[in-house]
Amino acid sequence: MKHTERGLLRAYLDDQLDPQEHTAVEQHLEDCAVCKEEQAALLRHATRVHESLEQLPYLHGEENVATAWAAFQKKQEDWKEREEKRWPLSRRLLFAGAALSLVTIILVLTVAPVRAWAESLLAVFRVQRLTVLQIDPASLKAGELQSNQLLNQAIGRLLSDQITVTQKPEKPQLITDPATASKMAGFAVHLLPDATPSSLLLKSGGGMQMKLNRDRIQSILDEAGRSDVQIPWSVDGATIGVRIPTGVLAFYGNCGDIASRVAAGREQNNPRPVEKGDTSCISLIQLPSPVVSAPQDVDPGQIAQVALEFLGMNANDAASLTQTVDWTSTLVLPVIRGKVNYQQVHVNGNEAALLRPTNGAESSRYTLMWVDNGIVFALSGFGDDATAVNLASQL
Amino acid sequence: MVSMTDRWDEAEFEALFREQYARIVRVIRRIVQRDSEAEEICSEVFLRLYRSGPRAAADGMAGAWLYRTATRASIDLLRARRRQQSKEVDENDGSQAEDPAEDALTLLLRQERIGAVREVLARMKVERAQLLLLRHSGLSYQELAQAMQVHMGSVGTKLARAEAEFTALYQRCQRRQQKTPQLQTAKEEGR
Repeated sequence: MKHTERGLLRAYLDDQLDPQEHTAVEQHLEDCAVCKEEQAALLRHATRVHESLEQLPYLHGEENVATAWAAFQKKQEDWKEREEKRWPLSRRLLFAGAALSLVTIILVLTVAPVRAWAESLLAVFRVQRLTVLQIDPASLKAGELQSNQLLNQAIGRLLSDQITVTQKPEKPQLITDPATASKMAGFAVHLLPDATPSSLLLKSGGGMQMKLNRDRIQSILDEAGRSDVQIPWSVDGATIGVRIPTGVLAFYGNCGDIASRVAAGREQNNPRPVEKGDTSCISLIQLPSPVVSAPQDVDPGQIAQVALEFLGMNANDAASLTQTVDWTSTLVLPVIRGKVNYQQVHVNGNEAALLRPTNGAESSRYTLMWVDNGIVFALSGFGDDATAVNLASQL
Repeated sequence: MVSMTDRWDEAEFEALFREQYARIVRVIRRIVQRDSEAEEICSEVFLRLYRSGPRAAADGMAGAWLYRTATRASIDLLRARRRQQSKEVDENDGSQAEDPAEDALTLLLRQERIGAVREVLARMKVERAQLLLLRHSGLSYQELAQAMQVHMGSVGTKLARAEAEFTALYQRCQRRQQKTPQLQTAKEEGR
């Protein structure tokens, strides 16, 4: 005999079955000792819960809806007022997203694509968490790489031949109100409470596809002096799609005349715009997770290892780190040891990276990065660690 | 947080508030310890709905949304209180003022029982605690399915599971209380 499901028995006790089901369960229970026993246990539990919840004192408060509505309206007005204060007409444009966008693009190109292979068919990864990878500057030789003409030519060739831009990013755009920002960005924009942004900018997203050519990538590695790092054959011919969504940048305090710099165009883009402002400047960048898609027939571990070795890890360390990271959902943030101090903190339960330049003048400037609900946040300003974390936690 | 892709019609929202307020605050009052807290949570929940825009409550789901959010917020408060109380000595939990004639021992026992129920609710998986509280508030299976965004056919199973978890945790809690009567007495004397 087939026994009645527990859920049906439970619904039977509450008289929540339709008449047909009710009769069927009733008849079954007459003949089935097992189900009858089960039902008795369910009844015991239900009774225990009922009696227990009955113990909870019922607070006999005011149930006057009119009073409650008046109180609610007051709360609602306060909220509306705060929202309006938060979003006045922006006086200035801004541009500090360049640095983050650049970092994001570099990350996506160097490290992120490897994560994509982990998923089946057309693999898609979305950033859910963030981890910091400290890189030994000696092995990176950034200066040497920059001045190596052959290397630059090789990279230039790779970029022009192999990359198709599917969505060209537009110029940053000044936004005057939060509703428009949220609407245009396609996500609910988070803002600091009780503060008024001095500038608010929408940084449109971009998309591209890159066809991997093993020989060319290998030639870049060779040129960079890393012939020891071998690109696996399996990547050859694979197409990777990268889509960086639209992000929103909010500035608070005096961050300099960002508007004119942005309006002036690319050559004016200052990677450190805060130098033109003062220590009251706080920037908040939020960007939904970049999405990378790629075919599945490549071993993600191998690619991750190549990227990590390129960033200066020795083969053994790279291999063991590869095993510990979920490449489909982790944004790996490379940080150069000795140039940047890194500390792991928590923002609203999410792991966050608190970064500070090590050199004196800039060391009071923090950058706090974390991922919450698929959105990558970067908060930057001047102050101590507690100030940074407190500010971030209010978002 | 700003989510303004859509806005409420003010009159529509007021009508909704007037229609739903009493039943939502009633559910919250059962969970939290102070009336002021219940009103504050209820007001906050409506504000959240207002901020979320009408889409959150589309297709007549406002009641379901409010029940879900209100029980969640109330349980969150219970949990926060529980963490706080692990650091501080218990204070007034709303059970004291009910009957001034109640003798000290009865009051103490009742407080222990109430404390155990809240402790269990705070320890349970939130969705299960919500389900029990909403069922206890008289929601039908169909209403529960809407409020908790689950398939109606699974409500019975989920409820049975939640009740089993509650019972097991409650028994454990009682056993622990029975084991520590001396501690309790010592604490009382120390006050």
